[in-house]
Amino acid sequence: MPMSRSQIETLNAGSSTLTLSLDVGLYPRDVLYAAAYVFLDRAYVLLDRRESRFVVHLRAKRPLDEPTLHAMAGEFENELLAQALRHQVAAANQRIIEDVVSVAIAGAAGDVESNAAGTLEGAPLIDPQDPEDGFVADPLGIAHPWEPEKPGTG
Amino acid sequence: MPAPTADAETTTVRLHRALYAEDAITEAAETFAGLASFALRADGEHYVVDISAIARDVDGDVVAEFCNFALANSARRRRSGHA
Repeated sequence: MPMSRSQIETLNAGSSTLTLSLDVGLYPRDVLYAAAYVFLDRAYVLLDRRESRFVVHLRAKRPLDEPTLHAMAGEFENELLAQALRHQVAAANQRIIEDVVSVAIAGAAGDVESNAAGTLEGAPLIDPQDPEDGFVADPLGIAHPWEPEKPGTG
Repeated sequence: MPAPTADAETTTVRLHRALYAEDAITEAAETFAGLASFALRADGEHYVVDISAIARDVDGDVVAEFCNFALANSARRRRSGHA
C-alpha cells in the first residue's frame, strides 16, 4: 500500500516507540486530536508539526513487540480515517442538527412567538392554551392502549 | 516519543504552539503540581516546559503523563471552542 500521505518514520520495539508523520492537508487538526485522544489510555502521545506534516510520537505504556507496534500504527491510521469521516458527517449535518435542537428546545419551552413574517419558523409546536391544538384531541384514536381481548369478555 | 532533554535536575519538553494551547499546558501543570515543578515559556513555534523536582517515588512517568494531559486539555478546549 502506498503511504505517501501518512507513514511510519521510526519504530523501535526496544523502547516501544513509533513515530508517524501525516500530511496536514489530509488530516485537519481536529481529526488528529480526536485520534490521539483515543490512544491516551494505552500510549504516551506527543504531537508536533514539521513543515507540512504533523508528527505523532507514540510510546506504549507497556512493552510491545515489533508486530504489535506495527499494528498500533495501523490502528492509529484507521482511527484517523474514522475520525475524518465523523468530522465530515458532522460538518455536513451541522445546520440540520442546530435546527432540530432549536425547534425541540423552542417547542419544549413553548415561549417562542411567530416571527414578523408570520411564518411557522420558530413557532412553538404545541400551543398549551389551545385544547384543540392536537395535543389533547385524538381523532384517530391512537392514544387508546391496545390489548388483545381476553376470551369470553367480548 | 522523543526523549525529553534532561540533566540531573531538569527535564525539558517542547510542545508545538499550533497543537498545544497555553492554558491547556498550564492546567496540566497545575494537575501535576504535587509531583513536579513546571516552568513554561514560549520559544519560537514551541512552548518549552522545564520540569524539575520530579517526584521519584511515583509509579509512572510523570513527564509523559503531563504531556498526555496537556494534549487532552488542548483537544477538549478545541472541541469546546476555547482554542
